[in-house]
Amino acid sequence: MSIPVGHYQYDRIDRDFLQARIAEFEGQVQRRLDGTLSEDEFKPLRLMNGLYLQLHAYMLRVAIPYGILDSRQLRKLGEIARRYDRDYGHFTTRQNIQFNWIRLEDTPAILRELAEVDMHAIQTSGNCIRNVTADEYAGAAADELVDPRVHAEILRQWSTLHPEFTFLPRKFKIAISGSPNDRVAARFHDIGILARPGEDGAPVFRIFVGGGLGRTPVIGEELFDSVREEHLLATLEAILRVYNAHGRRDNIYKARIKILVQAIGVEAYREAVEAELAQMDLERYRLTPEAVAAIRSRFAVPLLEAPADADAVLAQQRREDPLFDRWVRSNTHVHRDPGHIIATISLKPAGGIPGDATSAQIARLADLADAYSFGEIRITHLQNVVLGHVRKDRLRDLWLGLSEVGLAEANIGLIGDIVACPGLDYCALANARSIPIAQKLGARFADTALQAEIGALRINISGCINACGHHHAGHIGLLGVDKRGEEFFQLTVGGRAENGAAIGTILGAALPEDETVDAIARLVDCYLGRRESGETFLDTLTRLGHEPFREAAYETV
Amino acid sequence: MKRPVRLEPGQKLVLTANRLLDGRTVWWCADGAWDLHIGRAALLDADEAEAVLARVAGEAQRDGVVGVYDTAVQAAVPPEPVTVREKIRAHGPTVHPEFAVETEQ
Ligand code: SF4
Repeated sequence: MSIPVGHYQYDRIDRDFLQARIAEFEGQVQRRLDGTLSEDEFKPLRLMNGLYLQLHAYMLRVAIPYGILDSRQLRKLGEIARRYDRDYGHFTTRQNIQFNWIRLEDTPAILRELAEVDMHAIQTSGNCIRNVTADEYAGAAADELVDPRVHAEILRQWSTLHPEFTFLPRKFKIAISGSPNDRVAARFHDIGILARPGEDGAPVFRIFVGGGLGRTPVIGEELFDSVREEHLLATLEAILRVYNAHGRRDNIYKARIKILVQAIGVEAYREAVEAELAQMDLERYRLTPEAVAAIRSRFAVPLLEAPADADAVLAQQRREDPLFDRWVRSNTHVHRDPGHIIATISLKPAGGIPGDATSAQIARLADLADAYSFGEIRITHLQNVVLGHVRKDRLRDLWLGLSEVGLAEANIGLIGDIVACPGLDYCALANARSIPIAQKLGARFADTALQAEIGALRINISGCINACGHHHAGHIGLLGVDKRGEEFFQLTVGGRAENGAAIGTILGAALPEDETVDAIARLVDCYLGRRESGETFLDTLTRLGHEPFREAAYETV
Repeated sequence: MKRPVRLEPGQKLVLTANRLLDGRTVWWCADGAWDLHIGRAALLDADEAEAVLARVAGEAQRDGVVGVYDTAVQAAVPPEPVTVREKIRAHGPTVHPEFAVETEQ
């Protein structure tokens, strides 16, 4: 088997470990079914293997490390959707995939199938270090300084079954990027890492701690500006040790690292980390150039060759086909190689379910990845799919192929590109349904010309305060609340996850579900009516303040 | 768990859980069986529900169900849960009409 482009190639140790883990879980399932284990005993065991019990069925969350898959893996996910689920999967804001209709007794077989393609569901739940997320344009974007995937893989290996960090006070999320343009919401993570080249050529890492969304949204604070590569693991280890020792375990809502950092202050946290580092055996944690090179050697590098006229061919095709041109405008990003381009495939069809893909679409995506992007696929934290290395002169063929399976929506970064959690249609913790609001908004703003006219505008929807839909970070955010068993939505404006991260401000009292879409349409009208030339929604909001938007939203209430 | 403080006129309680094997939402019937359809659920008065719930929850492992609790319904035919959450559990996700529980045997 050749080494995959874009992600780490498992070795025998990785594979043996997965098989042992599946055998262990199979025994646990068996003991649950025969009653040897009670539900209370079994629950933490199944969660450690990504298996939740939701409203209608078990849900299995499969890890996609740093969001990158090869076509063989994606095909397998499509097969699992078809054979064990109801013919679709849901891509999440953590770059994972969830299957909503799983049978407990099928789970060991599913995990075996996943292991055939070097995949698993470990640490997608529980109070441990979760799947590490990374820039969806890693290794491809022209604006990238350091490809973060090798270090993301090092973090994956370091955090997998880490004996000290398997029972943290709460879940722990790490994101890493190597671009000056933050595409991973670094400051909304427990640890956010931004890599850049150091003076000697080896990367250095800027580390933020204590960011997060949920009940208490907090923007992460800088802990260190320039951690050298050799000290990356020691530093992370020390940060986690301080959290593990001092994070609260008495109150689930106060157990995340952000609460600890807020409580003692970032200076005191830094001192505690430095004190920990001073008494650690740093040699043991030293990340040597040889170790990094060994991991790097298990990633294949795509051979980027394009004809000299690739750019001209694309320009000509855009002139000839306005629909294609619109898609290129919204759904592509500049590649580091002039003959290539990055294509983002929207999983947000107008009126559709954000992040869902049928098994047929998944299989087709795998074929298209083979044909156009070295068999490599990325899942974004905004619930879309990226093909990272498409030759410019072949982009239109890709777009035509996507059109055949309903995946050519031209709305990335626009109002139709809505992020929504599963909400009350599936989730046992939900207060309100996220998906129907997303569908209604998607249908309301279905016209892609109108979306282009509105410009950059992100809507994020969460069905409860856990904020899986990242509503605090949406330019417009919606939070579902439960008022005596009925669904209401609280609106926020002005959040952003990119550079200049900000938490959205609540506009006013929560609105009944059936008034929410109209209120958002009035917000958008307010912006369109009052924006000045060249302004985005956030620009106009910043210039005018919230009041005109609040008035527009509550006009008829 | 969302439970109204007290029952309004015309409301009763039903017992619900998830099936151990496949996680599906099920409703407790008067003959002791668990059924996918809320239409077959036993309707309980508030004063009897507590004792029935304790007994049925104690038999959950034998019956192959998880997380037994009670929830209020309008005592119509078929009974209709009071909260949106339980309506969705009873009928299936609103975004997939093709998965409506009513269409299943
Ligand atoms: S935000 Fe709440 S409703 Fe949405 S998926 Fe997360 S826990 Fe469930």
